[in-house]
Amino acid sequence: MITAADPIEEYVTALAAAVHGPARAKARLIGEIRDGLTDATAARTSEGEPGEAATRAAVREFGTIDDLIPGCQAELTIAQTRHTARLVILTSAALLAYWQLAWITHDTDPAGLPRIVQLFGINMTVLAGAAALLATTTLATTGVLARWLPTPPRLPLVVAWTGTITSAAMGIVTVTLVTASAFGASRLLMMLGGALAAAAHPVLAASARACRRCAQLPGATSALGPSQH
Amino acid sequence: MKADAVRGHLDGLLLAVLEDGPLHGYAIIVAVQQRSGGALDLRTGTTYPALNRLERLGLLRSSWQSVGERRRRCYELTDAGRRSLATERQAWHDFTAAIGSVLNPTPPRAAT
Repeated sequence: MITAADPIEEYVTALAAAVHGPARAKARLIGEIRDGLTDATAARTSEGEPGEAATRAAVREFGTIDDLIPGCQAELTIAQTRHTARLVILTSAALLAYWQLAWITHDTDPAGLPRIVQLFGINMTVLAGAAALLATTTLATTGVLARWLPTPPRLPLVVAWTGTITSAAMGIVTVTLVTASAFGASRLLMMLGGALAAAAHPVLAASARACRRCAQLPGATSALGPSQH
Repeated sequence: MKADAVRGHLDGLLLAVLEDGPLHGYAIIVAVQQRSGGALDLRTGTTYPALNRLERLGLLRSSWQSVGERRRRCYELTDAGRRSLATERQAWHDFTAAIGSVLNPTPPRAAT
């Protein structure tokens, strides 16, 4: 027997397909909307309205999917931006800590670091510092500071590209350190750094790609800022 | 009142109905509709991302609570949310007073 699809499930499935963002944030938002529709239906049926009519009325009252997309996508874009910013901070902090360790080891290791690796390390430190600064500013300005400061509409895209550049840097770090270790320079330390950078590269790249996708969706930045006034 | 007119005041409306204590999403929507006597044409689904945003801004906090037999995410005002509500109220009062004084001018008093 063919049964009609549940209008609530149809609604939330269509909404879930239309918006993009971090899985956890999206599941929470969609879950709350599903709960709200269930509550609205229950309120109507408790007043004597027949089940299917109550469900359809509740869905109608919620607004069309197009009504909901801008607000939902704006929040999910910010969530993806903040997620990417956190990864950039974590990766940059690990990179800075690693170079610090390499420098300390270099002072006590007669084999030392090759000159090219030292120069490379300085450049990567500057890049990581700049990326971490931008990411920290992003977390602040999309959190409580957003009460007073409007969020620049292009911020998600800027963070996405910062994530991509940091991720690419991790790829270059991996190749450099593995090459340096092959020439016998502080082999264990070089291999450890290479492994860390290799692990960070795909995670950060995926988050940056998702952030760029969110930022380019229609309605992604339409509801940013201190309020929707 | 049309949904577009309501949207500009959604933050204030949501903060106001949470002044008396925590509520879950649908209860917030019902509270707004009841307080307005059904006059506000709210697209109820748009309330959820707005609640999410207010929480991100630190004006609300949320926690899971049992509501009847169900578990629901309930929202309550933070101290910053109470301050923001007071500011919204003052701004609304000033706005309506200014518009009111233009729409309903008090007749000038006769010179004595």
